[in-house]
Amino acid sequence: MEIKNYDELTTLEIDTLREIGSIGTGNAASALSTMLDREIRITLPEVRIMGYNEAIDWIGGPEAITAGVLVHIGGQMSGVMLATQSLEFINLVLDSMLSEHIEDYSQLGEIELSALVEIGNIMISTFINALAGLADIKLELTVPSITVDMQGAILAVPMVAYGGQSDYLMTIGGNFVCDGKEVPCRLLLSPDIRSLNFLLRKLGVME
Amino acid sequence: MAGGTSAANGQKVTVGIADMKILQWDGELITYALGSCIGICLWDPNIKLGALIHIMLPINMEAGRKNTMKYADTGIKETINLLVGRGARKDRLVAKIAGGAKMFEVVGPSNLGNIGERNIESVKMNLRKEGIRIISENVGGSVARTLSFYPATGIGEIRAYGQPVITL
Repeated sequence: MEIKNYDELTTLEIDTLREIGSIGTGNAASALSTMLDREIRITLPEVRIMGYNEAIDWIGGPEAITAGVLVHIGGQMSGVMLATQSLEFINLVLDSMLSEHIEDYSQLGEIELSALVEIGNIMISTFINALAGLADIKLELTVPSITVDMQGAILAVPMVAYGGQSDYLMTIGGNFVCDGKEVPCRLLLSPDIRSLNFLLRKLGVME
Repeated sequence: MAGGTSAANGQKVTVGIADMKILQWDGELITYALGSCIGICLWDPNIKLGALIHIMLPINMEAGRKNTMKYADTGIKETINLLVGRGARKDRLVAKIAGGAKMFEVVGPSNLGNIGERNIESVKMNLRKEGIRIISENVGGSVARTLSFYPATGIGEIRAYGQPVITL
C-alpha cells in the first residue's frame, strides 16, 4: 500500500529502512576509517519519524552550533541528505588531515571548511551508493555545500523541502564511534514521500 | 540596550516551528533558529497586544488547510483574526519580520535553494493585502536568526551566531 505520510509506515517497512541505514552508515564509516586511518564504527542506526519541534529537541535544541554538509538527491529518487559535524568530529578530521585543532567553530577557515565538505561528501556518497546498489536504482547527487550555524536552521532544510507534503520529518541515519568514543556526526537521509514509496517497492517490502 | 526589553515580570513564551503565540502587556515571545523560515511579529501598540508567528512555507496548498501557521498566507490571516478577537484593531496593527535566509549555496533543484526568498515575498505580499505596514525588517542573507519580541514595547531583538544583537 502506498503511503501518503511518513507516519503510515509499517513496522516491516521501518525495519527495512533501518537496515538500509545500517548498511549506508556502515559503508560511510569504513570510508571515513580509511581516510582518517582510525577505527570508526557506527552506533545502532535509527529511523525516526518526528514532528518538527520534536526533531529539533532530538538533535539537542535549536541554537547549538554545528557544521552541516548538504546534498540534494536526484535521479530516480528525490531527497536531501545532511551530514552534521560536531566540534569533536571536526577535530578528529582536522587532526588526521591537517594536524590541526580548533577550540571554536569561528576558527574554521577556508581550508578547514573544504576538508569538512570533502569528508561529508564522501560519507554521503558512500551511503547513497550503497542504497542505490541495494535497491538497484540510479541516483544523482548535487555538489555538496557546507554551512556553520544553528542546528535548528540546518535541520529545517529537509523539513522545508517536504513541508508541503507532510507535518513530519523522516530521517534514516546513525552516529559514529571513533576509537571507542562517540563523536557526534549524524548522517541523515530524508527522502520525499513519492521516493520513499518507490524505494520500498524496489526493495520488495511494499506491494 | 533600550529599557523594557527584558521580560522582568513576564514570562518567556517559545514559539515553535509552524506555530504562533500571543502575549499582552509584558513578557517575551521567542522563536529560535529561523533559517529560511520567517518570524512575523504583529503588534497593536494601543493595547500592547503582540503575536509572533513562525512560518515555514509561502503558500498553503494543503487539502483542508489545517496547520495554518506553517504557511505565510494562512498564518497571517488567522493570526489577525485571533488578535482582533482579543481586542486589537486591524488598522492599528504593524509588523516586524525576520528570517528568510538561504542556509546553503546549493546548485540543484532551484525551488529548494530560494525558499527563503519566496517566503519573504509571500509574507510581504500577504501583509500588504491585509493593509499592515512593515515597520522593521531583517531578512535574507545566509545566517540563522533567533527572534525575540516584547509586546510591552514593540521591540524585537535578533541573535545570530557570531554577531552582536540587532534591534528590530
